Amino acid sequence: MTAYREVVVRTPLALKVLPVVSVATFFIAWEIIVRTGVVPDTMLAAPSTVTQLLFDKFTNVDPDGALLHQHAWISIQEAFGGYFLALAVGLPLGLAMGWFNVAEGLARPIFEIIRPIPPVAWIPLTIFWFGIGLPGKIFIIWLGGLVPCVINAYVGVKMTNPTLIQMARTYGASDWQIFRQLCIPSALPMVFGALQIALACCWTNLVAAELLAADAGLGFMITMGRRLAMPEMVVLGMFMVGLTGAFIGVIIDKVEKRLLAGIRR
Amino acid sequence: MQDAARPRTKIEVCNLTKRFGELLVLNDISFSVAEGEFVAIVGPTGCGKTTFLNALSCLLPASAGQILIDGTPADPKRHNISYVFQEPTCLPWRTVRENVAYGMEVKGRPQREIDERMDNILELVGLTQCANLYPNQISASMQQRIAVSRAFAVDPDLLLMDEPYGQLDVKLRFYLEDELVNLWRKLKSTVLFITHNIEEAVYVAERILVLSNKPTRIKAEVKVDLPRPRDFMDPEFVRIREHVTDLIRWW
Ligand SMILES: Nc1ncnc2c1ncn2[C@@H]1O[C@H](COP(=O)(O)OP(=O)(O)O)[C@@H](O)[C@H]1O
Ligand SMILES: [Mg+2]
Repeated sequence: MTAYREVVVRTPLALKVLPVVSVATFFIAWEIIVRTGVVPDTMLAAPSTVTQLLFDKFTNVDPDGALLHQHAWISIQEAFGGYFLALAVGLPLGLAMGWFNVAEGLARPIFEIIRPIPPVAWIPLTIFWFGIGLPGKIFIIWLGGLVPCVINAYVGVKMTNPTLIQMARTYGASDWQIFRQLCIPSALPMVFGALQIALACCWTNLVAAELLAADAGLGFMITMGRRLAMPEMVVLGMFMVGLTGAFIGVIIDKVEKRLLAGIRR
Repeated sequence: MQDAARPRTKIEVCNLTKRFGELLVLNDISFSVAEGEFVAIVGPTGCGKTTFLNALSCLLPASAGQILIDGTPADPKRHNISYVFQEPTCLPWRTVRENVAYGMEVKGRPQREIDERMDNILELVGLTQCANLYPNQISASMQQRIAVSRAFAVDPDLLLMDEPYGQLDVKLRFYLEDELVNLWRKLKSTVLFITHNIEEAVYVAERILVLSNKPTRIKAEVKVDLPRPRDFMDPEFVRIREHVTDLIRWW
């Protein structure tokens, strides 16, 4: 037992103390810069002002028409709506494209044409088609999330060990059997990678979409802050976007660990 | 009806030729293998041994010639062909038992038959204890044993082995060769075993086909009519080994 004594890794003092020092200095300097007027408060809000607004926005719908958590909730709904649709379409499509020549031949050219167009560039068309409500935003987010899903699933299937495929062939396995029994399990790690990447993609595109066309959501709140010349609202919106994104990332990470432990590789 | 001294022909290879573009690798090879026979094929590296097996297993189309199993052209969907590759081919997401069962599963055998045969085979090769482990939890030699067990499990018409023990150390090799011979005698499969190790060939096979350099032909055929278990020190064993070595001294 003693032979396997756990190796204790101590965090050096510098790495414990300095982060605190650095963050504190950052916020204090920011506060001072705005308070003393080095940067005018029409261009940047002090942290204290932002904090004040943060608490205010939990109970006060003015001036942007909704409470803070309502904005966040709308954004989350849109992001996850688009995200799950992207998974539902992109993963099967990418898996099929990786193995079946018919799927690759048909879908690949169209995919390659659409891929380099940033999802944000679709916004004007989307407004024609869906207006500025939920469906339009879900469409944009779906488009953005689709790309990593398809690519990862496709690459995952292509990375299937060719000797395993030969082995299955000599036993007389059909294309469908090989796809189901070899290609999909081989692609799983890449598919799990896609879960993370696609979500990050969806969240980024969501905020972009809300900045340009929305009547609610965190991106909309940032835009309203700009229109109303309220830098504290802009900063608060940015902060919330970051926080919510990080929160979702942590959840996905947990789910992924569970699933991976379940399939055990 | 069958003459016991001359079992019927199981595999017939007629004028098998394989070219890669201009490169002629297999040059008009013909031979036949009797039912239940254990044939070893020895040849220099790069002479086309792997190509030969790939053609026999229909992984590669032959440029000319024919491979008949029981008188009909070889077809992985119709015949039971097993192929043990040089490198391990375990499916990492399946347990040892599920890996051994894979071939039977592909062929759609009923679950009861699979279970029965798995118990039997895992017992024979002593894998029962690790039946529920995953391939990354066992050694490379165990992985190759899984491939061999999987190959025998489908009760193959033709079992092809491409230097399966080439990368293992000597001691383990002896052990696995014994195990292989054991399986073959119990399950009565027809085996084509490729190796570049002459001693290994003489130890396991009933007949040895010696291949030439490219363009490859069968240069000679040596019968090994020794009792089993064979003894490396037996003068007759040594004589055959040296005979085969002489045949291929021209490599
Ligand atoms: N797919 C291929 N395309 C072209 N040449 C090949 C291919 N596969 C094998 N060869 C050539 O055929 C020859 C025999 O290869 P191989 O069957 O792997 O030999 P061995 O297994 O006896 O070492 C080699 O010279 C190799 O270069
Ligand atoms: Mg080879």
